[in-house]
Amino acid sequence: MAQIDIQNVQKFFGHLQVLKNLNLTIADGEFVVMLGQSGGGKTTALRAIAGLESVTSGKILINGTEVQHRKASDRDIAFVFQSFSLYPHMTVRENIAFPLRAVRMNATDRDKAVKEVAEILQIAEHLDRKPSALSGGDMQRVAIARALVRRPQALLMDEPLGVLDAKLREQMRAEIKRLHIARGSTSVYVTHDQIEAMSLADRIVILHDGVLQQVGAPDEVYLHPTNLFVAKFVGSPVMNVNGVRIEGQRVRLNGADASFSFPDEALASVRSTQADLALGARPEAVLLEHQQTEGFVEVVTTNIEPLGSHDIVDVRLGDAVLRARTPSGFVSGEGQRVWARLDPAQAHFFDTASGLNLRGAN
Amino acid sequence: MAAVRTNGERTINRLAIVSVLIITMIFLAPIYWIASTAFKPRNLATTIPPTIVFTPEISPFVKLFTKRSQLRAPPSQEEYAAAPWWERLVFDGGEKVVRSGRGEVQLSGYPSRFMNSLIVAITSTVLAVGMGTFTAYGFSRFRVKGEQDLLFFILSTRMLPPVVVAIPMFLMYRAVGLNDTHLGLIILYTAFNLSFSVWLMKGFIDEIPKEYEEAALVDGYTRMQAFFKIVLPEAATGIAATAVFCFITAWNEYAFALIMTNRRAQTAPPFIPSQVGSGLPDWTVIASGTLLFLLPVAIFTFLLRNHLLRGMSFGAIRK
Repeated sequence: MAQIDIQNVQKFFGHLQVLKNLNLTIADGEFVVMLGQSGGGKTTALRAIAGLESVTSGKILINGTEVQHRKASDRDIAFVFQSFSLYPHMTVRENIAFPLRAVRMNATDRDKAVKEVAEILQIAEHLDRKPSALSGGDMQRVAIARALVRRPQALLMDEPLGVLDAKLREQMRAEIKRLHIARGSTSVYVTHDQIEAMSLADRIVILHDGVLQQVGAPDEVYLHPTNLFVAKFVGSPVMNVNGVRIEGQRVRLNGADASFSFPDEALASVRSTQADLALGARPEAVLLEHQQTEGFVEVVTTNIEPLGSHDIVDVRLGDAVLRARTPSGFVSGEGQRVWARLDPAQAHFFDTASGLNLRGAN
Repeated sequence: MAAVRTNGERTINRLAIVSVLIITMIFLAPIYWIASTAFKPRNLATTIPPTIVFTPEISPFVKLFTKRSQLRAPPSQEEYAAAPWWERLVFDGGEKVVRSGRGEVQLSGYPSRFMNSLIVAITSTVLAVGMGTFTAYGFSRFRVKGEQDLLFFILSTRMLPPVVVAIPMFLMYRAVGLNDTHLGLIILYTAFNLSFSVWLMKGFIDEIPKEYEEAALVDGYTRMQAFFKIVLPEAATGIAATAVFCFITAWNEYAFALIMTNRRAQTAPPFIPSQVGSGLPDWTVIASGTLLFLLPVAIFTFLLRNHLLRGMSFGAIRK
């Protein structure tokens, strides 16, 4: 197992820069998830660590050794592809044993290692079948077994659950987590699915347009997004982001016919700024009441998404729309009059121009 | 609901089968003609209308493999009795087998020409497919400067009718002493097949996901090892198809073989018709030589049929 350091890495494809001055340290045994949209540079970063892609400049260190000029085969790293990439002309056993043949391990040890990892991943009964005879989940287990069998320095996974259906994805997610806890392997995992990222990661790395946006534990990224991109990208449903004006003690959403009162300390960091402001509040920060209540303003419900455990309710005040998370059945239908308030503790103010968060919540 | 066929559909189906059978018979007629002539007695080979029913004979094949001369007088009783069964067949046809001073049977030119065909066709096929596969892999997997132009250039070698360059080639070959050599024909056929092989193999290798090799690369294999352990087995279908095409081209080539070779390295295609001119044409011998010549391609294709028919990839890659 190993620590991975990425230092000032840049990557160009022709004139297109896909990694811009990337710096990141992945600790020994840590599970890091790279999250971002497609084209954000996360897969390129992963392939650069593996040696499948060269870097234009910068250093990549594994356990303190510079490896950016080494071939993939000399980096002692395992890679799980989104497409699984099992060799169709080999049986499952041969597939898993393939990396061991590269290091010329003798047949007895090889057999033992294959059996052991197959047991862990519960694919022992499939060892003599061809990959094409397996289900998607089992194919992915084989791919992970092939990656783990060699006990590599680090395990890199490129959207490994991307092609599985929702139910299987959830199950495999739990297995990957269990496996990571059991083996403690340094893992880097690329995904565009924020739920995967939140549930698996020790730390989430958010990349956008080749630029690192934020690195942090899942709750940190969720509760304290450093900028608008992270705020909108993490969390489902998406955070409410509305242009706002500060009017003394009150915050008025652009287009709204009423304003919310905020305590003084919540506005301290933004009162003096000249920048255009946007207010971000997750649906759970939009509080609703049936009766008129002190500090709440009157709104009209426009759309309800019943999700079983809770509802997502769209409310309108003037031309502004907020999405609120309520207990299920809290609002019975569209066009209802309810009273709303924003929780100042969970509200974020962003500079619209730079996208930066001007005040972390709390 | 069970699939019920109406009477109309049934009739159409039967008509289709009958017409396919008729078309097949029309196309197979020349093959039947060759095959039947190869087993006919000489006097029935040229009858009009053609003889359909006859007692098959093996004598054309005996004559095909032996050197013969016309009999001036019928063989004596003892001579006839002492001869082995196959030699009697030659006597019956009014000829005798030529023997050396020590009594060894002299072979005709056919076996050596047949061997020449095998040597030239197999070697040039292996070379063309081998080099073609490597070249195609390079074009498929690496960013090659001017890739499109180079590929077009490779294909352009096929755009000229080969016979156009026959005379200059002959002069060049004579100058460097390559005419009438195996090597000369092998180089010629390899060059001729190579462009075809590169293009065909590039198509097949493009179909193999590059993740296969990347998986092997991170698993500790060099690119060369990944090529041999992963790409080649995956490309087996393409290699088989390309090899069949290259082999057929090299095996059947006539024009260059006729011009470039005459004795030592002559292949079967120019040899077989050349026998027409020696004495009265014996069509049964020509037919038997042609029939044997058809076999290797048929056998080669038959052996590779599974590879030719098999689908490209058995989906262990999910897209």
